[in-house]
Amino acid sequence: MKTIEKIRLFNFKKFEQFEVDFNKEMNILIGDNEAGKSSILTALDLALSGSRSKVDSAGVESLLNIDSIAKFFSGGTRSIGRLPTIFVEVYLSDQGNPELNGKNNSLGKQCDGLRMVCAPMDEFGKEIVDILGQPGENFPFEYYAVRFATFADQPYSGYSKHIKHLLIDSSQINHDYATREYTKSMYSAHASAPQKYKFQNEYRKHKTQFRTDILAELNNTLSDYKFTVRNNAKSNLETDLVITEGDIPIENKGKGKQCLIKTEFALKKNTGTYTLDAILLEEPENHLSHLNTKKLIQSIRESKTKQVFLATHSSLICTRLDLRKVVMLNSSSGAPLLLSGLSPDTADFFMKAPDNNVLEFILSKRVILVEGDAEFILMEAFYKKVTSGRTPEQDDMHVISVGGTSFKRYLELAKALEIRTAVIRDNDGDHQKNCIDSYSDFAGLSHVKVFADPANTRSTFEICMYADNTAACDELFGPGRKTLPVQDYMLKNKTDAAFELLDKKEADLVTPPYIQEAIEWVKA
Amino acid sequence: MGKSVVFAVAGSGKTRMLIESLSLERKCLILTFTDNNLVNLRSRVMQKFGYVPHTITLATYFSFLNSFCYRPLFAMAIKTKGFNWDVPPARTLKFSRDSVNYYVDGTQRLYYGRLALFLEKWKAIPDIVGRVEKYFDSLLVDEVQDFAGHDFNLLSAVVAASSVDVLLVGDFYQHTFDTSRDGATNKSLHDDYAKYRDRFRKMGIEIDDESLIKSHRCAPAICDFVNAQLGIEMRAHGEQEALVEMVSDQGRADELFADDATVKLFYSESGKYRCHSLNWGGSKGLDHFIDVCVVLPDNVAKAYKKGNLKTLPASTRNKLYVACTRANRHLYLVPGAFLKQYKADVLDARGQM
Repeated sequence: MKTIEKIRLFNFKKFEQFEVDFNKEMNILIGDNEAGKSSILTALDLALSGSRSKVDSAGVESLLNIDSIAKFFSGGTRSIGRLPTIFVEVYLSDQGNPELNGKNNSLGKQCDGLRMVCAPMDEFGKEIVDILGQPGENFPFEYYAVRFATFADQPYSGYSKHIKHLLIDSSQINHDYATREYTKSMYSAHASAPQKYKFQNEYRKHKTQFRTDILAELNNTLSDYKFTVRNNAKSNLETDLVITEGDIPIENKGKGKQCLIKTEFALKKNTGTYTLDAILLEEPENHLSHLNTKKLIQSIRESKTKQVFLATHSSLICTRLDLRKVVMLNSSSGAPLLLSGLSPDTADFFMKAPDNNVLEFILSKRVILVEGDAEFILMEAFYKKVTSGRTPEQDDMHVISVGGTSFKRYLELAKALEIRTAVIRDNDGDHQKNCIDSYSDFAGLSHVKVFADPANTRSTFEICMYADNTAACDELFGPGRKTLPVQDYMLKNKTDAAFELLDKKEADLVTPPYIQEAIEWVKA
Repeated sequence: MGKSVVFAVAGSGKTRMLIESLSLERKCLILTFTDNNLVNLRSRVMQKFGYVPHTITLATYFSFLNSFCYRPLFAMAIKTKGFNWDVPPARTLKFSRDSVNYYVDGTQRLYYGRLALFLEKWKAIPDIVGRVEKYFDSLLVDEVQDFAGHDFNLLSAVVAASSVDVLLVGDFYQHTFDTSRDGATNKSLHDDYAKYRDRFRKMGIEIDDESLIKSHRCAPAICDFVNAQLGIEMRAHGEQEALVEMVSDQGRADELFADDATVKLFYSESGKYRCHSLNWGGSKGLDHFIDVCVVLPDNVAKAYKKGNLKTLPASTRNKLYVACTRANRHLYLVPGAFLKQYKADVLDARGQM
């Protein structure tokens, strides 16, 4: 199997310098907006395709890192030698081909790989000097040219590709161009070269026949000028092909369905002449219903013969596909974080657990984990009280209800990703056992802390709430209004009670001390 | 297969031996010097397999040096723009062999003749050996006698250090040009056959000068001529009849000149004669001539008369040997004086009169 082992980027889009090692089966790229998920897919797509026209249509201006341009102008003499250069290096597994193998990469390592370089053209040195000499900050984008070469310094192009890949970008799923490219790629991946030539030839023959047999009826009535069918580079078999499902062209289907079909078709096992080495999926969850997202996940999981690169915002996709394959791009630090070190247990837990907010958690820097919906409902109110009116969003804080006591699964992630995490839980009648001993694995971490009421009698959130807000609770849930005693009512109707407290008594609420502590700690 | 070098005589089947050693199971790298011979080898491979199998890689020595050794290892580190094919100017000899300036000219072109030394000095031999071993099971070299200068050293180092099978074939006396003459390096390599053989022995490779001692192409008469006049030992395989004719009158010379079936082989400037012609050196590796007419320049004609061909400079004698042994049948020797009148500049001068 041909696999991509690593990518290194220099001055490419948002990355001044970037490197990540890839898993040989699946790579789930996650990150906030602007973190660079799509940049990585674009870099792979451009370098693998070896297509100048793709680079030209993207434009050097959009590919060259903005900071590197700013540095060029602010950092010293405006000489050609200091102009930033874009490098995209794709490191491949050993392909047994000397034309791919060499030391022409930034690591100086002898291995297989491809390299895309976008640099100022030497032959226009004089013109570039003139432009740089102009007042203001005029950057010579137009004088940049792209070159594709292997690590052996052998040029390659779209005609001599070393890795067959396909990019499916759900945001462009309906574009004519994207659809045509997809059809072309899939046709190329399925049909053998002799077949392609034969079919093309036959198609042309049939068109000619149509003219002589059918159109003749009309043409015979005409003298000087006659009709025929177009037969050229813009109109031939490859331009006319469409892919169908049950005789219906897939381009006539909804965006979501198209996305699903295209991905499933591309993921099919390599058989016969069909070979596709890598599939790049850009936010496949767009346009997909929950059910279809699950179907998509299933087919990605079953595909073992292709390396998948997937950029996503969906918790469902990244947990169900295996959190250990996650590459997390952080907008602040350049280096990606891999979750490959996660325990199989935990990865498996998230794969099977009910739909959850793992992605939200992973992408946060500060998180308050609460045990249930009641705490979740009231947490914003507590937060405002403790911080004199700020909201969790203002402080980039996430509050996540983990449901039950799967805190430890999240804490393992927090440990790996260094997320400042406050766990707010009930002591369930034994503070030492439930809230201290049970978390001994995380005891040494300065960014993880468990908060619970130390008094074993205050065993749950509702008991604490009632104790600290007796008057308010009595008023809302007291005799005459509810049949059960107040405490019992609150315990039996946790979320309703919490919602009513928030709705009617927000101003008077007293925050239980352990929650106040937690908020103060996590915010610090 | 192990490692061996086979010394052969002209027309004894060197190429056939190389081709016979090929199989689909082994990844082979075949190197030769000239593009002509590369084309020839490619067509022989296609004759054998019907196509060029992907396990067989054919390359000229230069493209091997450049595309397999130099560029994969150094293209990014040493930014050069192509090659300088001239003999490096003497002033460059002052540069240290460890300085890039010795290898690269003012316009960032690499001196072709020093590329092999560069690779040696930049300690690339282990990487090259590694690459050869990684991608091939055997290394085959045709026309091995054309390795000279630093190239011979590079070949020696790679052959000695690598674990792949090696088969080198060549004809000592067909050494007609130096690939990379540079100062004194291996200057005397081709002066003495015995010493030359010793250099191969030092690479740890077996020397075979028995298998290909008989020429299939040349008739006994031609072999005898080469033995006696040029002092180069060769025998004929068959017993076919053939003429070795020394032309001594103008009429016969004119007749041969006009006969397009007989190729005229000139020492140099064959392009200036409007006939079916080639230079001696350029005829190397070609096998399809029936009769051959070798045109002797004045000094060679004189030496022949005196029975002194053996004492010609080695390069001249070797080229003459190549030219004479192109014949599958008759060999005609024509003193150049008879054909002077046909030379283009002579004709032109006459036209102006």
